[in-house]
Amino acid sequence: MKLLLLLACAALPLAAQSVRPRLEGRVPADVIPLIDSIVQAAAADSLPTEPLVQKALEGGAKHVSGDRIVLAVRLRRDRLEAARALLVRAGDPPPVTPVKVTAVATALSRGVPAPTVERVVAGLPAEPRAAALQALADLLAHKFDPDSSAQLILDAARLGVPHGRFLDVATAVIHEMQRGSTREVALARVRAGLPSLPAPARPAPKVVSNAKRPGV
Amino acid sequence: MTNIDPRVHEALDGERPLESLPPDLRIEAERLLEVAALLAAAPAAASVATRVMAHLAAPRPSRLRRLLEWIAQPQAVTFHLRPVWSLAVAAALAVLALFPGGGPLELGPEEGIAQFVLPASGAHSVHVAGSFNDWRPGAIPLEDRDHDGVWRATIVLPVGQHEYMFVVDGERWVADPNAGRYVDDDFGRENAVLIVRPPSP
Repeated sequence: MKLLLLLACAALPLAAQSVRPRLEGRVPADVIPLIDSIVQAAAADSLPTEPLVQKALEGGAKHVSGDRIVLAVRLRRDRLEAARALLVRAGDPPPVTPVKVTAVATALSRGVPAPTVERVVAGLPAEPRAAALQALADLLAHKFDPDSSAQLILDAARLGVPHGRFLDVATAVIHEMQRGSTREVALARVRAGLPSLPAPARPAPKVVSNAKRPGV
Repeated sequence: MTNIDPRVHEALDGERPLESLPPDLRIEAERLLEVAALLAAAPAAASVATRVMAHLAAPRPSRLRRLLEWIAQPQAVTFHLRPVWSLAVAAALAVLALFPGGGPLELGPEEGIAQFVLPASGAHSVHVAGSFNDWRPGAIPLEDRDHDGVWRATIVLPVGQHEYMFVVDGERWVADPNAGRYVDDDFGRENAVLIVRPPSP
């Protein structure tokens, strides 16, 4: 009980925190109060707020009009709500965290059909789910069948492929297709080889040593 | 004193040409001229005081002055190295030249490498902006070091999914043509989607 009280006290200031300072100078001044109120309402509704702030900053950077920015922020909030509803519908065990909601919303916005997302949500626990949805979205972007693609990723998880390598499953299928196989054959061949996969491409040591941290 | 013929005197004083003298007097005049030339060429003898001072020791300069003079003057420095040590020194210098900055970059467990490439010949500047830097258009520049029209940047980013676009010449927003993953940006264009993965073990 004391722990819950402490957590509630800690969460209150976060929920009430205004995002105006982050938006000032970056977004048309006349729409900042409206965007701030949308963000505050989302926080009160336990929805992720960072995607909303990012959408507003993106619109400001691209010199989009204030009205369109507000529209895009509202649209994103609606997608987050839809993602949360999907998680509940698929029987995802609570709590519905911002990370889970964001992963589902991103998959939906990348074109993965809601029933396919629901199938993955029902079949996988939270941690590998985001990676599974990313791999699924990659396959669907190459016009693979949603159900067959979802089955492949679920099979990969069941056969012990680490979730950090789900993207490599999708990449292997796409490469198989690019070598001349039909989509069905490409899916079947990679499925037959699981859990073994080609080694992922690694950046050369010189590339790593030349990398810079933003702002440094 | 010696008796010199007055005609020789006149020749030595330039009052009469040597050729007008009889042969015996002419030889005598030429000898006298040689002696005069030798006396004129001899160095002047140093005075006694100068010779004494030369033998006295000059005052010794201070240690600091001697040190400064030693540093300022060229010195021959000789190392006696076995060839194997020379090779080791050369190898160490080569490693330092190949890995400037003290070696490869250390990545955190929640960090990965992202490589951005955009062919944009004729562009004066290219930047990348995205959800990883609050969409700040001028914060992360790409470079075209070899002036082939292909702009590149290699950046350390947090692991996860990011959306981004390129900004050409500070005003033109361009989708990454090589991203392979795209999502509607809700402003009438498409953002590229980048998935940053942790470094493989």
